Amino acid sequence: MPLLTLDHVSKTYRTNGAAVTALRDVSLAVEAGRFVALAGRSGCGKTTLLNLAGAMDFPSSGEVLIDGVTTTGLGDAALTRLRRAHVGFIFQLFHLLPTLSVVENVELPLLLAGRSGARGAALESLRWVELEDLAGRMPHQLSGGQMQRVAIARALVHSPKLLLADEPIGNLDTATGSTVVALLRRIARERGAAVLMATHSMESAAACDAIVRLRDGRIEEIEPR
Amino acid sequence: MKARLRIFHRLILRALFREPLRTALTVFAVALGVAVVLAIELAGVAAAGSFRSSLETLAGDADLEITAIGGVPEELLGTLARLPYPLEFSPRLEGVARVEPEGASVTAVGLDLIAQRALGDAQHPSPEEIADSRAVWIGADIEPRKGGVLSLSVNDRRFEFIVRGSLPGAARERVVVMDIASAQDAFARAGRLDRIEARHPPSRPLEHWRQLILDALPPGVAVEPAGARTDENRKMLAAFRWNLRVLSYISLIVCGFLIYNTISVSVVRRRPEIGIARALGATRWDILAAFLAEAACFGAAGGLAGLALGRLLAEGAVGMQAATVDSLYVSSAPAAIELSAGAVALALLTGVAVSLLSALAPAFEASRVAPVEALTSGQREFQARVRVRRDLLAGLLLAVLAAAASQAPPIGRKPVFGYVAALLLIAASAMATPAVVTVLSRAWRKGIRLILGVEAMLAARGLAASLRRTSVLVGALSTAVAMMVAVGIMVGSFRQTVVLWLDQQLRADLYLRPAAGGAGRQAVIHPGLADALEALPGVAAVERFRSYDISYGGLPALLASGPTEIVRRFGKTRFLPGQDRHAILDQLPLGDYVIVSEPFANKHRVRPDDMIALPLDGEPREFKALGVYYDYSNERGYIVMDRGVMLKYLPDAAATSLSVYFDSGADPAVVRRAVERTSADYAVSIQSNRALRAEAMRIFDRTFAITYALEAVAVFVAVMGIAGALLALIIDRRQEMGVLRFLGAATGQIRRLVLFEAALLGLAANLIGLAQGALLSLILIFVINKQSFGWTIQFHWPVALLAGGLSLIYAATLAAALYPARVAVRLNPIEAVREQ
Repeated sequence: MPLLTLDHVSKTYRTNGAAVTALRDVSLAVEAGRFVALAGRSGCGKTTLLNLAGAMDFPSSGEVLIDGVTTTGLGDAALTRLRRAHVGFIFQLFHLLPTLSVVENVELPLLLAGRSGARGAALESLRWVELEDLAGRMPHQLSGGQMQRVAIARALVHSPKLLLADEPIGNLDTATGSTVVALLRRIARERGAAVLMATHSMESAAACDAIVRLRDGRIEEIEPR
Repeated sequence: MKARLRIFHRLILRALFREPLRTALTVFAVALGVAVVLAIELAGVAAAGSFRSSLETLAGDADLEITAIGGVPEELLGTLARLPYPLEFSPRLEGVARVEPEGASVTAVGLDLIAQRALGDAQHPSPEEIADSRAVWIGADIEPRKGGVLSLSVNDRRFEFIVRGSLPGAARERVVVMDIASAQDAFARAGRLDRIEARHPPSRPLEHWRQLILDALPPGVAVEPAGARTDENRKMLAAFRWNLRVLSYISLIVCGFLIYNTISVSVVRRRPEIGIARALGATRWDILAAFLAEAACFGAAGGLAGLALGRLLAEGAVGMQAATVDSLYVSSAPAAIELSAGAVALALLTGVAVSLLSALAPAFEASRVAPVEALTSGQREFQARVRVRRDLLAGLLLAVLAAAASQAPPIGRKPVFGYVAALLLIAASAMATPAVVTVLSRAWRKGIRLILGVEAMLAARGLAASLRRTSVLVGALSTAVAMMVAVGIMVGSFRQTVVLWLDQQLRADLYLRPAAGGAGRQAVIHPGLADALEALPGVAAVERFRSYDISYGGLPALLASGPTEIVRRFGKTRFLPGQDRHAILDQLPLGDYVIVSEPFANKHRVRPDDMIALPLDGEPREFKALGVYYDYSNERGYIVMDRGVMLKYLPDAAATSLSVYFDSGADPAVVRRAVERTSADYAVSIQSNRALRAEAMRIFDRTFAITYALEAVAVFVAVMGIAGALLALIIDRRQEMGVLRFLGAATGQIRRLVLFEAALLGLAANLIGLAQGALLSLILIFVINKQSFGWTIQFHWPVALLAGGLSLIYAATLAAALYPARVAVRLNPIEAVREQ
């Protein structure tokens, strides 16, 4: 069974009274351990697809299933539980909380979920991204690449089955970006997580198991690698 | 100019309209601050304004007033009438009567109705009407109409009068006018007048005529310009009004903090826009003017709204103030509230001035933003952090200055330096707040997550990170808390002092007063009643206390007498430290000696062994002050002599009040019934010891009710400011809230995070406010109160009151966070995270 399934999913927003369709009849299945790139121009629907896949939003029609559980009809609390259990997010702008240290940022998802052993898991996660030495630093003391690796450690800390990365290298130089993409690939391989990465960069998309090309809210092509 | 308006519109106005709720909250906070100041001003004018009512000019404007302690002998009118000068003299007698059965007080005035034409030409009374001792003319507020019977209690007797007509020009007054002879009879003051009013031709100056009249009168009779008494009463009220006025400024100070915060937030948020505007050619002055104009907008809008609100609040405030004036100073009905042009200007100017002053510092900072600096808002917080130590040092310096100012003497009977000390202390506390917040946030940095959870940790970190904003908010709320604590401690201490004093002072079993009476106008009880009570079985003693309103040193005061022997036997009057009660009371009846109350001693700088000059029995006489005793019954202050000594100079045996002491073995209920039976023919009120204490405390609590109301408004303003500021904080941190939702935060956790922020703000404000308030209370009790009213107050912690007040403020702070928390919960995390 695929870890993530999008079944004829459409999403329409209302902006100033006008309807804007961000996704049109998208169907997609991502298996565990696969690293999939979402490629396409700005506004093609990549972020919308990630938000739907991460149970942050509901489709206007169709169905999203995470580990076999449909998000449609779930209440806020159930969606939150689903995210806490299965989903990790990585952002283009890292979004580390500036008031928390590195390790505090990483353990945050576990603390929010009320899980015990947060500090140990956070240090383990930092070790995985090779940043355990920086655990006590504040985010403003890190480089861009380090910040994104901390963000990845944070996304991994609760061992999600689905990792969603929205332009994770968009704010990094090429070399650092390559390191981050390699790390995401390792996560899929070694931890068995399904990783879905939105990207502009064809070079980084080339490192994925498959490239899903989006155009005007539709899947134009799924290119296996 | 056009360019500046554009900058103002784009940089300021658009932003204000983008957040209408926050803008409205700030305007409302200013409006409340302005409204309170305006309400106290309007109510103060109305409450005091009635001293010079149409009553004063009922018989036309007088130029001079002739008065004497105990009343002017009637025969002096004849002496004056025979003077070969073109002067007009009119006798006048005034007192308080009670309309029966409703019990409302009215002012009864006796005039020479034949000579004075006080009733106007249209209803000039006939000789028969004047000869009728039951004829009265009344103000429009009093029932019944012409021809009806008006039942009045005067002193301890009841009279029935016939209403002959209404009074011109006294439509709003509760006044009853009768012929002078009828008034003398009713008030049992045969042969005496309250005063003789004189009018002189304009050919010579007033002083010339005053001297001529003085030369014709015996010593001990005073001739003063008309209205001198009114002016004295006004002077007496000045301290009361001044203190209320200053209390009303607290809300404005709190407003100042909030405006400072609002403009600071504007500046921090718009640094990039300021930078761009500067890069495009805007000068520093343009930026300064734009932000000051924003503050002026808040001030003008708040001032306008405050005008309407203040007029409304004044209705409530005038009732409270007038009741205090009536109980403690002088019988007076409140005048109408008038929203004068001056009051309108006061409201608008106050709003704009407070806003501009508060905005000056952040606006100046905005003007110093260089175009390249406008990249991040983090810089500003950094600056606030590094200034913590410098601000703390400045705060300590201000505290030292406050301590020095509190030692300075009053200026013109006003505790000017006391107020300065209080202001310096508030400023010192504001400067020290960032340091205290830093220490607190470090203290709770460690364990807060383990105790209260991750939301509390995030809240604490968020507040510590925006130190400048947090400090201003804590400063605003802690100022309001401090004033609540300070006034609470002051009033609680005062109350406890009065309770203890009443324990010592009220030793009798029953107290009798004339049914009709009021502050500032002494009604009396017929001496026959005291004699009859003294003869009752079970009565150990009857203390006859007599007081006269006098003028001393240009201020109203009270001259009183009591039987020293009874005071010595039953009383526990306490004298100031170092004064021997027994020796003083032993010496008091032996000659021209007096004791004075503490407020009198402080007002007139009288010490033991000083001489006090009193014009009595037609002679200026010197009395030696033997001691100063604690007294909390009257701010005017007492000069007290032995009853025998007073009767020698003022041979009127009637008493103002009687205190009845029972035999120790007597059945109190039986003796009380006997006293009631004996008093049945007299219109007197009889109160037990307990009832009198209860009434004293009721008056006390009513007096200070308005101060609590003012505190409540200040706290309300601060709490509203917290709501507005938290809203701004949420809007500024919406991205963080969105990220937290992505990381698995439930909506309940977001709500708790905001509530924890409010809880921590409230905790810091309460802690700082409590400490600051305790220090302020020392200034209030030992400087401002002492210099204003002359009372010594024993310091006392009103624990229950403070615990209740602080809990209420804490709850209000949390309640203020509910709406911002709701906004935070409803934020769309996807949109919030996408914002750059």
